[in-house]
Amino acid sequence: MSHRLSRPETLTALGIVAVAAGFLVPAMSLRPISALLPIAMLVGLIVLAVILLLMDQRKAAAGEPAQQMTKSPGRVAGAFALIVVYALATDFIGFYVSTVVAVPLTAFLFGFRHPLGLALATAIVVGAIWLIFDFGMSQDFPAGRLWAA
Amino acid sequence: MYSDLLHALPEVMGLSNFAAVIIGVIAGIVVGAMPGLSATMAISVLVPFTFGLEPLVALGLMAGIYNGAMYGGAIPAVLLRIPGTPAAVATTFDGYPMARKGEGGFALQVAVVSSAIGGIASAFALMLLAPPLSKVTLLFGPSEVFWVAVFGLASIIFLLGGNPVKGLISACFGVFVSVIGADPIYGTDRFTFGQLEMLDGINIVILLVGLYALPPVIDLLETPLKTDSVESSKLGTEPIWKAMPRMKGFWKTWLRSSVFGIWIGILPGAGGSMAAFMSYNEARRTSKNPEKWGEGEPEGVAASETANNADTASALIPALTLGIPGTAVAAVMLGGLLVHGLQPGPMLFRENPDVVFGFMWQFLFGAILLILLGGSLATNSFARLLNLPRPLLGSVIIVLMLIGVYSIHGRMFDVYLMLGFGAVGWVMDKLKFPLPPVVLGLILGGFAEENLRLALRIGRGDWGVLFQNTTSLVLVALTVAVVVGPIIKRRVIDRRKEAEG
Amino acid sequence: MLNLIKTTTAASVMALAAGAAFAQDYPSKPIEVIVGYSAGGGTDVMARTAAPFIEKYLGDGASLVVKNMPGASGQIGVTEAATADPDGYTLGTFNLPGMMARTIDREADYDRDSFTYLANVVNDPNVIVTTKGGGLDTIDKLVEEAKANPGAVTVGMSSLGGDDHFMLIKLQELTGAEFTIVPFKGSAPARTALMGGHVAMGILNISEVAEFQEELNVLGVATEERSDFAPDLPTFEEQGYDLINGSMRGFIAPAGLPEDVEAKLLDAFAQLETDEEFLEAMKATANPVEVVTGEEFKELTSDLYDLAKGVWEETPWN
Repeated sequence: MSHRLSRPETLTALGIVAVAAGFLVPAMSLRPISALLPIAMLVGLIVLAVILLLMDQRKAAAGEPAQQMTKSPGRVAGAFALIVVYALATDFIGFYVSTVVAVPLTAFLFGFRHPLGLALATAIVVGAIWLIFDFGMSQDFPAGRLWAA
Repeated sequence: MYSDLLHALPEVMGLSNFAAVIIGVIAGIVVGAMPGLSATMAISVLVPFTFGLEPLVALGLMAGIYNGAMYGGAIPAVLLRIPGTPAAVATTFDGYPMARKGEGGFALQVAVVSSAIGGIASAFALMLLAPPLSKVTLLFGPSEVFWVAVFGLASIIFLLGGNPVKGLISACFGVFVSVIGADPIYGTDRFTFGQLEMLDGINIVILLVGLYALPPVIDLLETPLKTDSVESSKLGTEPIWKAMPRMKGFWKTWLRSSVFGIWIGILPGAGGSMAAFMSYNEARRTSKNPEKWGEGEPEGVAASETANNADTASALIPALTLGIPGTAVAAVMLGGLLVHGLQPGPMLFRENPDVVFGFMWQFLFGAILLILLGGSLATNSFARLLNLPRPLLGSVIIVLMLIGVYSIHGRMFDVYLMLGFGAVGWVMDKLKFPLPPVVLGLILGGFAEENLRLALRIGRGDWGVLFQNTTSLVLVALTVAVVVGPIIKRRVIDRRKEAEG
Repeated sequence: MLNLIKTTTAASVMALAAGAAFAQDYPSKPIEVIVGYSAGGGTDVMARTAAPFIEKYLGDGASLVVKNMPGASGQIGVTEAATADPDGYTLGTFNLPGMMARTIDREADYDRDSFTYLANVVNDPNVIVTTKGGGLDTIDKLVEEAKANPGAVTVGMSSLGGDDHFMLIKLQELTGAEFTIVPFKGSAPARTALMGGHVAMGILNISEVAEFQEELNVLGVATEERSDFAPDLPTFEEQGYDLINGSMRGFIAPAGLPEDVEAKLLDAFAQLETDEEFLEAMKATANPVEVVTGEEFKELTSDLYDLAKGVWEETPWN
C-alpha cells in the first residue's frame, strides 16, 4: 500500500490538497468579496488534485509504472542545494565573492574540469557584470549582511 | 501633426541620438537573450542613469532596448526552451521543437523578421494613429476591461496540453498566485504573512524565471557532459536572404498578429505575453493544419514574435496620451519620460513635439535595425554562446537569474521567492504540468478581479453593470465564440464524417 | 569656585569646539537618500531634482546618492530610513498623509516620533474634476446631485487611505452629501475612467490634471490661495467651501540626529524655497513646491496623523 501512495503524482496531488487547505485558513478571515476569487481557486485546486489522485491510483491498480521524476536524484538534489547556498552566500557574504567561487565550483562539480576554461569563464562573467552593472549603471549588488552589522 | 513628425526627423538622425538606438537594440537583444534578465529590469536599471543624458539619447536607448529585448527573448526560447522575457513564452511552443529538428537557425530568422515586422507596424500605429487609438482606450472602462481579461483567460483552454486536469491545476495555481498581495480595493493583506515585500503582488518576472529557467538549469547539471540536445552544427543557419523566400506564406499571420499586438498594446495592463498567446491561438485556429502546431511549425514562431513586438510602440499610445501604460515595460518607460519632464497627456504632443515625435521615429528605426543587427549578431554568435559546456552554461545562467531577479526591486527576498517557484516548476516540469496556463493565470487573474470589483463598485453591487453596453456585449460574444466555436466545428466535421461513412 | 567655573567653561568650550568640528566635517562621506518608490515616480523625481541643490547648500563637496527601495506604497523605504543610524548619512523621502495613514491601517515599524523632520518640499493640492458633458460643471451642482441621490455619484480616485480619500471625507462631512468611492490603482487609471465617462467625478491632484484641463471640468482647487501651478483655476474657498487638502512629499532623517548636523541639514533645505533654478526645475517636472521645515513640518505631520486617526475611528476603510 505504501508503495502505491509513494508514486510522484499521488504525492504531488496530496501535497496540493494539503497546501491549498492550509491557505484556506487565512482566506476564511477575509471579507467575502475579497475571499471570492482566492477561495474559488483553492477549492478548484483541491477538487482537481483529488481527481488527479484518483486517476493516478487507478493507473497504479492497473499496474502501470509510475512516472519517473529523475534518473539521478543525487545530482538534482546537489544542484538545488548549490543554488540555494549560492543565494544565501550572496545575501550574507556578498555578491562578487560568492559569484567568483560559485561559477567555477558549480561547473567543476558537474563535470567541466578544464582549469583555464574555468578561470576564463569566471573572469569574463564577473568582469562583464561588474563593468555593466557596477561601473556603468552604478547598480549595487548585495555586499553581504555579515559585514554590514 | 504630420509636419511635426517630419520636423523631428533631422534631430533623430543626429550622431549621438542614432547611436543610442543602435546601442539600445544591441543591448536589448543581449538582455533579452540572457535567461533571467528581462526588458523591464534593464529599463528600470537604466532610468536613474538617464538623468544626466539628453532626452533623445535616453529615450533612444529605451526604445532600442525594448525592441531588441522583445526579439532577444526568442533566442533562449528557441534554443533552450527558456523564454528570455515573459512575452516569449508562446515562442517556445514551436521554436524549441524546430530547434530539436535541426531548424533552430531558421526559427531564429523567422523570429527576427517577424519581430521587425511587428515592431514596424506598431511604430507606424504610434506615429500616425495615436490620437484616434487613444479614444479607443477610453471606451474600455472597468467592466469592458474585465471582459477582455476573461477573453484572455478563456484562451487558456487551448493551452491545457495533453492532460486537462493538470492544465487546470496549472491555471488555478497561476490565478491564485495573482491574488497574493494587497486587496485591489481595500488594500488589506491577502496571504502575505506580514511580508511587506509581497504587498505589491508577485512580479511576473520572478515567477517566470523560477518556473522556466530553473528546471532547465537543473537539467543542464543533471545530465552528464556531452549529450547536447541542440548542437550548433545542427542549427541550420543560412544567410537571411536565403531564408526569406521560405517565409513568403506568412504574410497573413504577420498582418493578423500585428493587429492583435497593437490592439492588446493600447488596452491598459495586459501586455506582451497576452498578445503573443492570443495571436498564437488565433493563427493556429485559422491554420490549415492545426495538428502540426506545437511540433515545430514556423508560422507559430512568426505569430508569437510578431505580436510581442507589435505591442511595444502601441503600448506607449495610452502611456503618452493618458498616462496609463499598456505593458509593464511601458510603465517603466513612463518613469523615464517623467525624468525628462515629459508629462503624459494631450498637451505633450504640442509642448514637446520634437522629443515625442523623435521618440516615435526611434521606435521605427529600432524595429528596422532589428533585422540588420539581430539577423547576423544573434543567430550566429548567440547560438554559439549557448553551446558552452553544459555545466558552465548552467552555472552562468544561475548567476544571471540571481542578478536579473535581484535588480527588479533591489532585494534578496525576490531571489528566495524565485527559488521557491523554481522548486515548484521543477516538479511541474517532470510531471508534465503545462506552464503557460500559470503565466496567463498570473497575468490575467488579478487583472480580471480588480476590474470586476471596480465595475461592481461603479454599479453599486449590481452585476448587471457588466452587460450594460455594446463594447461589453461584443466582448462576451467573442469569448463565447472562441470557447464554443471549435467544439461546434469539431461536431460538424464528425457528423459529416459519419454521414460519409 | 573660580577653578570650578574655569573648568566648566573650558569643558564647554571644548565641547563646543568638538561639536563645531563635527558639523564642519559633516558630510565627510556620501549621504544616502532612500526613496520608497521606483526610479521615475513623482517622489523619486523630487529627490533627484532636489539632490544637487542640497549638495550645493551643504557645501564642501557634499554628495547625495539616491537609493530606490520600492514596495508596499513606500512603506519599505520609509521603514528603512526610520531605523537607520541617526548620523546624518541616511535620509529618506516622506509622503503625507500616506506614511501616517499606514501606521493606522496596518502594522508599521515606525510612528510619528521615529523621524527628524527636515523639510516638506512638495504640496500637491487636491482638485475635484467631473466629466465633460456630464452636466455637473460646478461644485454646487455636484453637491446638489449627490444630496438628491445619495451614492449615485461615483468617484474615481487612487487607493483608500490616501490624500484623495481624506479629501472626499472632508467634502462629505462639510456638505452631508454621499458619494460612492471607486478606488483605482493610481491616479492615471482613475483619470482615464473619468475621461471615458465610466465614473462621474474624480478626486485627483493639481499636477495630474494640469495637462488635461481641456478634457475635464476642474471644479476647484483645495488650497487657501490660488496655486501658482494653474493660476486660472479657482479655489474652493472662493466658492464658499472650506476645503483644504493635498498630497505632500518631503525629506526626513531618523530621529536623534546630532543637533549640529540637524541644523546644517535644516539650513540647506530651507534655502531651497528661494532658489529660482530649483523652483524652475520642479515646475518642469510638475511638482508644486511649498517648503515647510523642521518644527512646522513635524506639526503638519501630527495634524495629518490626528485627521487620519479620527477618520479611521469613525469609518475604517478596510
